[in-house]
Formats: sequence, structure tokens, C-alpha cells
Amino acid sequence: MSGEARASVELAVEHEHGLHLRPAADFVRLAARYRAGVRVVNLTRGGGREANARSLLELTALGIDSGHRIRLTASGEDADEAVRALADLVRSNFQAG
Amino acid sequence: MSVGLVLVSHSARLAEGLHELLEQLAQDRVPIALAAGGPDGTLGTNALAIAEAAGALAGAGEVVVLVDLGSAVLSAEMALEQLEPALRERVRLADAPFVEGAVAAVVEASLGSDAAAVLAAAEAARGQGKLS
Repeated sequence: MSGEARASVELAVEHEHGLHLRPAADFVRLAARYRAGVRVVNLTRGGGREANARSLLELTALGIDSGHRIRLTASGEDADEAVRALADLVRSNFQAG
Repeated sequence: MSVGLVLVSHSARLAEGLHELLEQLAQDRVPIALAAGGPDGTLGTNALAIAEAAGALAGAGEVVVLVDLGSAVLSAEMALEQLEPALRERVRLADAPFVEGAVAAVVEASLGSDAAAVLAAAEAARGQGKLS
């Protein structure tokens, strides 16, 4: 309803290689389907550095390994949907992308 | 209109390796052509080969050209001058790192973005550090 909608979720990345190149590319493509801007933080390593979910290079620079926890934060009208879809992709071990 | 990528490298094997990586990321969504190496496996770039690769892709859409080192820029520019104007206007030369630029470009192109967006994604890779 409002452009100020925000949504956030924290979850662990279980994929054996973490968020490496190919799953990250699927993640970027899914993020691009939503109007909301989505930021990703590696909570386990990197001192809270953020990446734009639409940038493969920023995402891979977060060094997200198997077992690391991440936070997804979306802002924009479809923030809820964006966070849910991206979290589902991560939880599915990137099978759905 | 889809955006295709041309990989221009002094080394055929360097371009082939990058091509392999990009195919994993793009999953057949992005046309990619190579113009790399000199005759008989030597190192070098060839304006005619670049023109052929870019012209072939430009027949079907827009094109972003990525080069490995600055000295390939001259060959790429010569190649673009050889294209017919109707094809030439669809081709953009990226001022971007070869690997990171191509990776960013192929992901952006796989989203169906136009050449301006693909070029911007490639060139934004210039400012992206590898360590923090």
C-alpha cells in the first residue's frame, strides 16, 4: 500500500558452497522481479557489510559460506513478497531458481 | 531486444574459460561470441574477428563488447568502424574489468535489460573491490 513498506528476515545459508556464483546469479535474477530494493548482510562474517541483492559482484564479495547467517531487508511496495521469495530460494538450497 | 556479449581477449583460452563461467551464470539466456587470440594459437586480437562476432550478434539485438586489456581497445574500435551503421549503433564497448565486468554484464543481460543497463552493470564493476 505504501512505498515505505519494509520487511526483513534472518536465516542460515545451508548450501554446501554457500552463496557462490551460480546460486548468487539465481538470487539476483529473483530479486530483480520485485520493485522493492533488497539489501543482504552476512551476519557471520564481514562486520555487517551490506550488498545490493541485484549485484552479483557485491553479493559474492560478502563471502557467504555454508552455515553463515544472513539478513535480507527489503523496502518498497512488495517488500514482503520479495523477502519471502528470496528466503524461500535460500531455504530450498537454490533448487527453485 | 536481447543483449549479447562479445569477449575480446589476447588469449583464446582466457576467453574460453570466461565463456565457460558466463554460461554457468546465464544458463543459455545470453548470446555470447568470442574474438580471441591471433592466428595459429598465438596471442593477439584481430579486428576482423571482432567485427564478425559483434556483427553476428548485432543482427539479432544489442551488443556489449568486453576486452581483456587496454591494447585490445584499438582492435575493438577498428572493428566497430567496419560495421554497417545500422549494426554499429547497436554495439557498445565497455570500459570494465574483463572477468568482473563480464560476470556483471551477463547477469544483467539475463534479466532482459537493455544494452545501456548491461553496459552500466559492467562498468560499475570497476569500483567493486574483491576484499572488503
